[in-house]
Amino acid sequence: MPAPDDGRSSGVVPTSVDVRTLIRVGERPPFREYLVALWNYRHFVFFDAKASVQSGNSKDRLGSIWLILNPVLNGLTFYLIFGVLLQVNRGVENFIGYLIIGVFLFQMSTRAISTGARAVPSNLKVIQAFNFPRATLLLSVNVREVLASIPVVITMLVLILLFEPVEDITWLWLLVVPALLLQTVFNLGVGLILARVVSRVNDVANVISFAMRIWMYASCVMFPITLFDPYPAVRTVIELNPLYQVLTIVRESVLYGEVPAWESWSILAVWAFGAVAIGMIYFWFAEETYGRDE
Amino acid sequence: MTSEIEFVREPPAIVVDDVSMVYRVPTTQNGSGAGQGFLRSVRRLVGSGPTVDVRALKGISLVVGKGESVGIIGRNGSGKSTLMKLINGRVPPTSGAIYASSRPTLLGVGAALVPDISGEQNIMLGCLAMGMSKNQIAHAYTSIVELSGLESSIHLPMRTYSSGMGSRLQFAIATAVDPEILLIDEALNTGDDQFKGRTKQRMDELLAKAGCVLLVSHSVGTIKEMCSRVIWVDEGELVMDGDPTEVIKWYGTFIKHLTARDRVAAMKTKRRAMNDLVVPHLISRETGRRSIE
Repeated sequence: MPAPDDGRSSGVVPTSVDVRTLIRVGERPPFREYLVALWNYRHFVFFDAKASVQSGNSKDRLGSIWLILNPVLNGLTFYLIFGVLLQVNRGVENFIGYLIIGVFLFQMSTRAISTGARAVPSNLKVIQAFNFPRATLLLSVNVREVLASIPVVITMLVLILLFEPVEDITWLWLLVVPALLLQTVFNLGVGLILARVVSRVNDVANVISFAMRIWMYASCVMFPITLFDPYPAVRTVIELNPLYQVLTIVRESVLYGEVPAWESWSILAVWAFGAVAIGMIYFWFAEETYGRDE
Repeated sequence: MTSEIEFVREPPAIVVDDVSMVYRVPTTQNGSGAGQGFLRSVRRLVGSGPTVDVRALKGISLVVGKGESVGIIGRNGSGKSTLMKLINGRVPPTSGAIYASSRPTLLGVGAALVPDISGEQNIMLGCLAMGMSKNQIAHAYTSIVELSGLESSIHLPMRTYSSGMGSRLQFAIATAVDPEILLIDEALNTGDDQFKGRTKQRMDELLAKAGCVLLVSHSVGTIKEMCSRVIWVDEGELVMDGDPTEVIKWYGTFIKHLTARDRVAAMKTKRRAMNDLVVPHLISRETGRRSIE
């Protein structure tokens, strides 16, 4: 109520209002309802994902071809530096295949995590215009990555078949699918956590690309893990790294015709489901704050 | 003025309970707390220069019933748009609470959707974002396109649209679901005459469906035409709340005095208008949870 000293003598009527039927504006829904709402918004997630796959490279002349050209050029760069100049390929069977898998798959995580981290600021207008569970934006980023990864993975397998030594196609190649799904789940979890952090402190978005680069070196994308044999502690850390395990699983099943170790699967699965559970709760906790202008 | 308790029997659409809003904004004014020399350069580098507190709203209480269309008038910077943003939930109030029967939809100027995809895809995206099902969208699609008046431009990317076209499309999408509570911030002034006619028709339909509309406008004509109740806000507080003709008459006198640079007369008009103001002091009839921020 206004202070009486500003010269007003207005009437104040005690008014009894039933607010039980009303919702408090800007309050986040309970967690279980939130999950149900996410499921109800699945069509939104798929439509948004499809629309952004189409418009993603709309300003480039080659359009969506860049989805494939990007990792190819990236792989070529790493091949020149690590394969030809530094010769770290000693002891790696089929180094080109090893490098292609590393670069192509790691790049998918880089993109999913860095676009996911910016999900709130880059969708600010949609957030402010409509009221929907905000975690759908992260789901849509990751669905988009899965859709975009289909041609990328096919290119990757074709490239592996093109370069000597040619690997045989076995049923083990099918293991790529669950490995990539677990990778996507992990990307989603990390994206959810970073999206909340970035929505509060935008500066963090600038650090992510550096962090991803360090992570890339710690995932043995372009050199073998035997490089770290003199440092057993570092080697253990790398082996606990879920993205290193994704690369290992795919390399073993596609290049070396071996069934990936159960340790690899369990490390990856624990990370993936742990990250998505923590990420979902952490992101939901600040649901009502996304898109506020402060 | 009565001392009896007034009971609001019908469940209201919006309840604004003693809401205040203080913005902390950066200022370029010198000497307001900023250090000298080095410290000041550091502050500027980090982007946290001197700030001042702006009291945009000073304890506003309102009860708006279902089926009411309320116009909000006031000078620039009087707190009208802040009130709309608070009711929309886009900004949390510094103190007080806002309750609504469903989450209010805010239509504003220049709110674009996704610029890189076509108007058609934006309709799909917007409708899905409002939680409509595929069937509902298929059903509503033609009337959205018609209301937006975009015709064949609907297939072009949104970034090629003029700002008027953009806000028409947004209005058409946002009103596709018959929102229970619609907040409009000057949006109606952006359309051309043909669109205004259509908007008016759509607004009448919305009102007929017992929706509740809050309209901020500088156009007294629009307010008179559309609203059954008018609220005058000045310097973050309520001045008048009541019959459109009455409130607009007082507001007109106030503005006339201000235009004539007669501040004293203007303030006198405002004070006299405020004399008749009746403000609800809310007692929530609620036994269960009352969430605490």
